[in-house]
Amino acid sequence: MSDPDGQGGRRRVIRTDYLARVEGEGAMYVRLEGREVAEVKLRIYEPPRFFEALLRGRAFTEAPDITARICGICPVAYQMSSVRAMEDACGVSIDTGPLRDLRRLLYCGEWIESHSLHVYMLHAPDFLGYAGAVEMAREHRGIVEQGLQMKKAGNAVMTLVGGREVHPINVRVGGFYRAPSRSQLRTLVEPLQRARETALETVRWAAGLPFPDARLEPELLALSDPAAYPIDRGRIVSDRGLDIAPDEFDEHIVEEHVEHSTALHARLRARGTYLTGPLARYALASQALAAPARDAAREAGLGAVCRNPFQSIVVRAVELVHACDEALEIIDAYEEPDAPAVEVTPRRGVGHGATEAPRGLLYHRYEIDEDGTILDARIVPPTSQNQLAIEEDLRAVVEGGLDLPDEKLSLRCEQAIRNHDPCISCATHFLKLTVDRG
Amino acid sequence: MADAATRPVVVVIGVGNSLRHDDAAGLEAVRRLRGRGCDAEIALCEHEGETLGLLERWQNARAVVLVDAIHSGATPGTIHRLDASAEPIGARLPGSSSTHALGVGEAIELARELRRLPARVVLYGVEGRNFEAGSGLSPEVAATIDALADAVHGEARSLAAATAAWP
Repeated sequence: MSDPDGQGGRRRVIRTDYLARVEGEGAMYVRLEGREVAEVKLRIYEPPRFFEALLRGRAFTEAPDITARICGICPVAYQMSSVRAMEDACGVSIDTGPLRDLRRLLYCGEWIESHSLHVYMLHAPDFLGYAGAVEMAREHRGIVEQGLQMKKAGNAVMTLVGGREVHPINVRVGGFYRAPSRSQLRTLVEPLQRARETALETVRWAAGLPFPDARLEPELLALSDPAAYPIDRGRIVSDRGLDIAPDEFDEHIVEEHVEHSTALHARLRARGTYLTGPLARYALASQALAAPARDAAREAGLGAVCRNPFQSIVVRAVELVHACDEALEIIDAYEEPDAPAVEVTPRRGVGHGATEAPRGLLYHRYEIDEDGTILDARIVPPTSQNQLAIEEDLRAVVEGGLDLPDEKLSLRCEQAIRNHDPCISCATHFLKLTVDRG
Repeated sequence: MADAATRPVVVVIGVGNSLRHDDAAGLEAVRRLRGRGCDAEIALCEHEGETLGLLERWQNARAVVLVDAIHSGATPGTIHRLDASAEPIGARLPGSSSTHALGVGEAIELARELRRLPARVVLYGVEGRNFEAGSGLSPEVAATIDALADAVHGEARSLAAATAAWP
């Protein structure tokens, strides 16, 4: 942080070169000229499309395993968007039956892991006034233990269905290498039931946290599944009338290079900034939540739409209830499939896959040739889609906090970024934070 | 070496990301040890991804040796040894290479607060040079993997001997 001219000077810079408690590392830079916010940059350094380049020339069947390596927090999201895209390219659909159920179950496991990590370890310290989870654990051991217990339930799902707890190895184009037995899945019931109870407590606890007034304005965008809360499929819809199939993504959403970031910034061609993630999913699909999650949201006073980014902690907790409940429902109804995968024969073409990573929409597009070799790959992670919205949010936070000393303003900016749970390791490499009011 | 399920006395955990060049050094050292094969009381594992999972990896162990890449400004290939058994190592770990929300140091300290830390905790860090996306170690890091594996093995053996007699 620096304030070379003191607060009486015209120019003021607030910078943080290392952002704590976001997935990955990144930087924020804010420059004020007098009381005008001249510049707000969330710096994201993306490995120059490393994975897209790595995928070219590989077999279409390798995409789920390669893309799973992009993120240690949401590997399943990458696998699910890639298998959907490859199946789309090959004219195969797995939209019903036990294979799709297993995919949703695995995805629920990832939501449970990722959301419990964010809610308890990364986001809660901001509300309770601690520098981080370690300091919070000293006085709130129970909260941290709850988080670990929830996370463990998610791990158990990942390990059983995905083959191991990080970077699952059991997912393939067409289904799975091995389908679990009914009795194996039953072992998840008890931990998931406990996790659901904890998630319900978490919603009540989170709803009682002190929330600053804040309101996000961007268009909210999420998948829309006709029969369920959006996780693994659906059309892409928004609260301002967008309603497109995943294969129309490119026609409506453009990615641009900006000077301060090697990650691409996505925006809607027609209207610009948009936001994906829990707030968008909740606003567009809360009616599809499992009953206990819907009831918990109502009791928490969330309303039909929540645009306060601080309250995203409540929405994530509601989604935790949903993920536990849906996982239990899938296990209860599960019948082992005849085969763990359907045959997928490659053909020349283009395929699109969009699913809901814990942080928001994750879009993949592949072009393959007749023997299944990947000719082109495109991956648009949620954090690069949300980057403009996060920067707009930061600008509003700075405008509302001009009279704060640098240290407090910087902390508030960091919190604003954490509200969005950005996954810098997906979109980027190093991230660092700077406020400049020189 | 022991299977994690046999409740080993010492767990050696290589931490890192195989697709971030030198961040794979810890994983590589553990793979090297596995290739040599030895010691029933020592379990080996590789851990990629978020670090809270480490708490599960070392539960039931009396001692843990963590092997990770470090970025502190020292000469690439330098091997650091930090004993975290008794006191926090945060201040002594200026440049954890972790690209995740909680670093290895934070996982250790969180476990300490929750009383889920093995009695002995030693961290070996090898100074990396390149943490960009991509596979393969820098030559100066690759050249130290054997020495790192030797040091880690010696440490694990001495921890096994020291803690084996504990009730």
